Amino acid sequence: MREFDAMNFEPGDEFERELQQAFARRPAPPSLKRRIMEKRRGPQLLPPFLTWQRLAASIALTAVLAGGVQWRIVEERRREESARRQVLMALRITGHALNQMNARLAAHSRGAQD
Amino acid sequence: MAYDWHPDFEKLVDEHQSMVFSLALRMTGDRGLAEEIAQDVFLELDRNLGRIESGEHARFWLRRVTMSRSADALRRRKVRGIDLWVEMEDVHAARAEEQSNYRGMGPLSIRLEQLLATLPEAQRAALVLRYQEDLTPEEIAATLDAPLATVKSHLQRGLKLLRSKAETHLKEYVRERKFVEGV
Repeated sequence: MREFDAMNFEPGDEFERELQQAFARRPAPPSLKRRIMEKRRGPQLLPPFLTWQRLAASIALTAVLAGGVQWRIVEERRREESARRQVLMALRITGHALNQMNARLAAHSRGAQD
Repeated sequence: MAYDWHPDFEKLVDEHQSMVFSLALRMTGDRGLAEEIAQDVFLELDRNLGRIESGEHARFWLRRVTMSRSADALRRRKVRGIDLWVEMEDVHAARAEEQSNYRGMGPLSIRLEQLLATLPEAQRAALVLRYQEDLTPEEIAATLDAPLATVKSHLQRGLKLLRSKAETHLKEYVRERKFVEGV
């Protein structure tokens, strides 16, 4: 077996031919090129009009949400007030009925004494 | 200085990605690291495209920078305290089990690739450029920016070491085959 065949440009023996076969180039991973091209382009910046559109949409959305929350608070307060009035009205009616009953009882007891 | 050569970067990637990836893979023995190196090398090529004079210059530049980045990566690993040789042998041994990595390769070719990983870095670099890229010792010396005598020495020693390791492993392989066939 010849040694130091690597000095010659052509493969010297079976072993070197086997080396050339074993060290053939391997295919690169399919995703390698895509990743290189993506990195080359760098992070994508939005055009200015899109930035303003996004900002406007965010403000509008915030306003709608805040309005919704405010409406809910007002609506709850209105319901509470309505319920309070109904309770007061019921108490007033009950008080009036009790007063009437009391007056009748008093008149009835006076008639019994007479 | 601007040159007349106006390359298409995408075509350069198409043409050379296999070469760059294979060089990095054989130098580091780590597929993930080889992909990272290949990405960095091509992005660096993109930044330096104005200085490249021709297609042949691009190929030379890519080989040179890939070998240099692979050596840097190996050095960084050594600094981090990883026993590279043990790790590389482990990686290659583990990959021997993964058929996808060695698809279409004969058992001797697989063994030779594994044995290559056990050679010292300088010998491995010279042999990879010699047998993967078909470079002459002069071209290898230019690529590695090393004296020609040093490159010749690495080629001689590397080939001798690889040959002796291959003979030992081949005998074991033949013995194993005979044993398996006998059974």
